[in-house]
Amino acid sequence: MNNAPHILVIDDELQIQRAIRTILTEKGFKVTTASRGEEGLTLAAMNEPDIIILDLGLPDMDGVEVCTRLREWTLCPIIILSVRDSERDKVAALDKGADDYLTKPFGIEELLARVRVALRHSTNRQGMQSKVIHAGLLMIDLAWHIVKCGDEEIKLTATEYKLLAYLAANHGRVLTHQNILTNVWDPADANHTEYLRVYMRQLRKKLEVNPERPQFILTEPGVGYRFIADE
Amino acid sequence: MTMRGSTFISRSSQYLLAIGFIALVTAILFSLREALDTTLVALLYLIPLGLITAYWGLGPGITSALVTFLTFNYFFIEPYYTFAVHRSTDIVILIIFLIVAIVISQLVGRMRSGLAAATAHEREATQLYELSTALAGLQDGLTIAKILAKQVQDVSQGETVELNITGTQSFAFRLPESKQITRPPEWVVPIQVVRGILGEIRLWRAAPALTSSEKRLLQTFANQGALALERARLAQAESRARVLEESDRLKSAILSSVSHELRTPLSTIKAAASSLRGNDVNWDSAARPELIAAIDDEADHLNMLVGNLLDMSRIESGVLKPKREWNILSEIVGSVLARMKHLAEEHRIEVDMPESLPLIPVDYVQMEQVFTNLVSNSVKYAPEKSMIRMRAFVDGDSIHAVVSNQGPQVPQEHLERIFDKFFRITAADQVTGTGLGLSICRGIIEAHGGRLWAENIPDGLAFNFTLPLLWEGVSPPKLPMDTETE
Repeated sequence: MNNAPHILVIDDELQIQRAIRTILTEKGFKVTTASRGEEGLTLAAMNEPDIIILDLGLPDMDGVEVCTRLREWTLCPIIILSVRDSERDKVAALDKGADDYLTKPFGIEELLARVRVALRHSTNRQGMQSKVIHAGLLMIDLAWHIVKCGDEEIKLTATEYKLLAYLAANHGRVLTHQNILTNVWDPADANHTEYLRVYMRQLRKKLEVNPERPQFILTEPGVGYRFIADE
Repeated sequence: MTMRGSTFISRSSQYLLAIGFIALVTAILFSLREALDTTLVALLYLIPLGLITAYWGLGPGITSALVTFLTFNYFFIEPYYTFAVHRSTDIVILIIFLIVAIVISQLVGRMRSGLAAATAHEREATQLYELSTALAGLQDGLTIAKILAKQVQDVSQGETVELNITGTQSFAFRLPESKQITRPPEWVVPIQVVRGILGEIRLWRAAPALTSSEKRLLQTFANQGALALERARLAQAESRARVLEESDRLKSAILSSVSHELRTPLSTIKAAASSLRGNDVNWDSAARPELIAAIDDEADHLNMLVGNLLDMSRIESGVLKPKREWNILSEIVGSVLARMKHLAEEHRIEVDMPESLPLIPVDYVQMEQVFTNLVSNSVKYAPEKSMIRMRAFVDGDSIHAVVSNQGPQVPQEHLERIFDKFFRITAADQVTGTGLGLSICRGIIEAHGGRLWAENIPDGLAFNFTLPLLWEGVSPPKLPMDTETE
């Protein structure tokens, strides 16, 4: 049990705490809970958890602030919980270093999927990043810059490839518009979401079976994009 | 100073003219002296006197009467060229002449000033009439103030007129606007209503000083203005009260809808959860997954209801501000359809949104909401296996989108009303939902500067909406795409 991943849940709603703790414990995780931002920061420093689940609406501190303070010293994956219609806060927290988000109310499969992705990326940070990513029939070789669908190679332009490689390297994670624009284009282009819209359409046309109902490149409304690869 | 100077000149020139006229008449009579009798001369002298008083007023009239008395005595009563009188009849003639001359002057003068006063009164009445006509029916305080200031300026011929309105909507208004004036105003009239003082009219007019009748007129103007301002305020208060009443009505409608709509999914959840908990259902029973699915579905339904209520209250309070970005309409539709997959699998869905459509400046999340609501409305009413069609095309400066279904048509008189809150054609207990979906759509489309309407089509119902393509006057960007492959 000692090797079980440790998850810290910071949420002031006791019902949510209870539900998450019950389910995650059942799935073999070690769970610690905190109801306030300060308490959460202290527990994070003491226990060095593997994942932090952080609610944005805390009574004592702004969730975005908690995110910023955590990022001053730890790379531990942070999954934020927020309510609908707070895209602005979500995006702010993601841009301040949170890794992913869940909108309340959420299904437990969603929570477990986010936790799995977060764990994988924290392993990748330790230098074990996979160089070949599979998604359905798609194969993306990040080392050799090759994209294939089955046996057929897909021709991408330089920007399209750069965009796809960035998404694929972060597969499973939500990437905000600003994050993608800054990394694939240039920090100066961080507000040009129209670039993203147009290039995403091009990419989907080349990669997706049905570009209107994408399976691999998903839009996260008001937030960004997420690339779904095979686990 | 010029005005006072010019009236002074015209006043003294009236006297000079009167005396000149008398001199002329005296010269004519003098040349005929031998042929005329003294009494006849006296009678003839009365004619110019009457004329002078009638034209130039009492002052010149009396003056000329005295001058005439002297010239008459000097030139026409023997002994000539002295003021001495020898004959007693001549003395009587002279005295009678003087009395008649003064009485005529008095009478004609009084008539004349009566006429002038009547004219002045008529002018005042006309000005007041014009003011109250101009103010009639105005609802806006600023417009009222402008008209009032302009009329005061017209009537008083002042250098500057300033209107200060205090209170909640305070403002100052000055005519002519560019003029800067440093000295205190010559005359200040309060604008007063029952509740107190609304403001004041300040008038700068150094000369001529305001007469009492002008002051009276300005006070009347101020009173008229006060009445108009008060009326505007009351009208505003009334419309505010109507808005409050409307929102109160909405709130109670929401409450009754909420209690009905929220209780339905809650009952399902409660029943399913408690029967699972109470071991009423065997572990391997087929009912088990069904109950669990019911809890899950109804929880989603509850979530949607709460979301709708939130959206509606946001639209109602006017805080729904679209966060615009250049978006691709088909991408929005795509993510809506992906999310509604299980809802829409009973229907065939056809999307016709050509790639050539320009980018549109909309809030992604809000437009998703619009398509979600329109599609779920279609799913709810249109028969299974029927077609739901979504298409869009460019129409001038806007994009025109259509979501059509093969569901029942809506009676012509209800086509507009289906966008009203809580309006339903069918009884509320036959369909689920808050009755808010379509009015949320309309709220969002209107916040984007577009228009949403419904129309009956040969085999069903179509929702149409337009969205402007220009964003702050800028047309959709066309991006340079790189075409070289790696």
